[in-house]
Amino acid sequence: MFNLIRKDLVIQKSQILLFIPFIMFFAIFGDHMSPFFIFLITSLYIPLNGYIYDEQVESNILLNSLPYRRKEIVAAKYIGSVVYMFLSIVIASIILYLFNFDFTLQDIAIATGLFFLFTAIAFPFFYILKPGYVGVAALIGMVVFAVVLPPALRFLAEHLTAITEFITSLSTATLYLSGAVISISLFLISWLVSQTIYQRKVL
Amino acid sequence: MRTIENIVEFKNVSKHFKDFSLENINLQIKQGLVTGFVGANGAGKSTTMKLMMNLLQADEGEIKVFGKHYANNEKEIKERIGFVYDSNVFYENLNLKDIRKIIAPAYKNWSDKQFYDYIKMFELPLNKAVKTFSKGMQMKTSLALALSHDAEFIMMDEPTAGLDPVFRRELLDILKELMTDATRTLFFSTHITSDLERIADNITFIQGGKILFNESIRDVQERYALVKGNANVLNQTIENSFISVERSSNEFQALTNNAEEVREALGDQVVMEEVTLEDIMYYAKGARKQNV
Repeated sequence: MFNLIRKDLVIQKSQILLFIPFIMFFAIFGDHMSPFFIFLITSLYIPLNGYIYDEQVESNILLNSLPYRRKEIVAAKYIGSVVYMFLSIVIASIILYLFNFDFTLQDIAIATGLFFLFTAIAFPFFYILKPGYVGVAALIGMVVFAVVLPPALRFLAEHLTAITEFITSLSTATLYLSGAVISISLFLISWLVSQTIYQRKVL
Repeated sequence: MRTIENIVEFKNVSKHFKDFSLENINLQIKQGLVTGFVGANGAGKSTTMKLMMNLLQADEGEIKVFGKHYANNEKEIKERIGFVYDSNVFYENLNLKDIRKIIAPAYKNWSDKQFYDYIKMFELPLNKAVKTFSKGMQMKTSLALALSHDAEFIMMDEPTAGLDPVFRRELLDILKELMTDATRTLFFSTHITSDLERIADNITFIQGGKILFNESIRDVQERYALVKGNANVLNQTIENSFISVERSSNEFQALTNNAEEVREALGDQVVMEEVTLEDIMYYAKGARKQNV
């Protein structure tokens, strides 16, 4: 399992070299961006690249011919993505701090929640999609996520006042706690879905 | 430990696809022997090998490897198999050093010494991306990786395809060398039949998703023959012992899998010739009936 998680780093070695400049770029030029968005993008960097690199060759044939079970291969992706998300946020925090880019713990919390939400939706598709489309799908997904989410939330805030009133009536702690529970539950459900898809996938 | 005679065993295995099916496959791969797997393109070789590796699951029937089912022993079985596929399955942007980093920890029995010995023997570069490798180098790469974890069963899909004749021979020598270890079993598919005549003990022949035969190369050569003669000696009984018949004006040419019977029935009226595997492949493809 550890080996499968580490594999995702090895296969994108050349991309990893760009990882820190990538964050520095945001730290320098991203002053108009919300910090949570920078955290979200950096946390998705390694997991998404892992999928993109994996589908460039017949890695499914390779991994399944090695002594691994399909369950483990999927589990490594989900567990690995959390591990890499965590590490990326730590690295991003250090870099942003060094560049005097203001951010709060709240930004990190929101980014983490959105990370779980995004991966929960995206990962199962990566097991369904034909090889060659994961990169495109991830990119479109990110754009849609970034473009659609803010107006959707605004729409909700304006038109479904009942919900917003309910939400604002909650204490910050309850709000964050329920957000965490919901996004992590979705992530776990997504894991099960991906596992089922991958078990049945014809290699 | 109990010795297992059949390394791989298929019992009535079927697998159906939209446009192709494997029907009722029965197959045994014997320990310590080299089994060649022949058949035309699209006959079902790769599907059979994927079933063997549990990359595909059978719709019906039973598959055992090392006497065990995949359901509860997947890791243990795959620990003991070395695989070589006809296309590159390794991350092509990586060099051999990095690929080793991924493959080596997957196996309990991995030996770095063995791996580097093969790399040296095959003269493979450690720091060049695999995608820059020639077909022959890619094959050597697969082979080095397949042989470095002390695999008992080595399964190779078309290992000689696309190789130049010199390296093809070299490869066959390497394989022969491997087989001096009597516990090792080798199974490989090919449509270059001269490879088989050089190293195989047993031949498994697949045709249109069905196994035509699965026996020793000597038995095949004894049982099968090419029969040539005048068409007027043919009758229904005789034709029943032919796999296929080709007629031209008043001559015929046929493949039989029952050489002895034909010899008894027709004797001097016909010419009987020894067949090569290629003849069998050619005639079996045109077979009107498959009465093996």
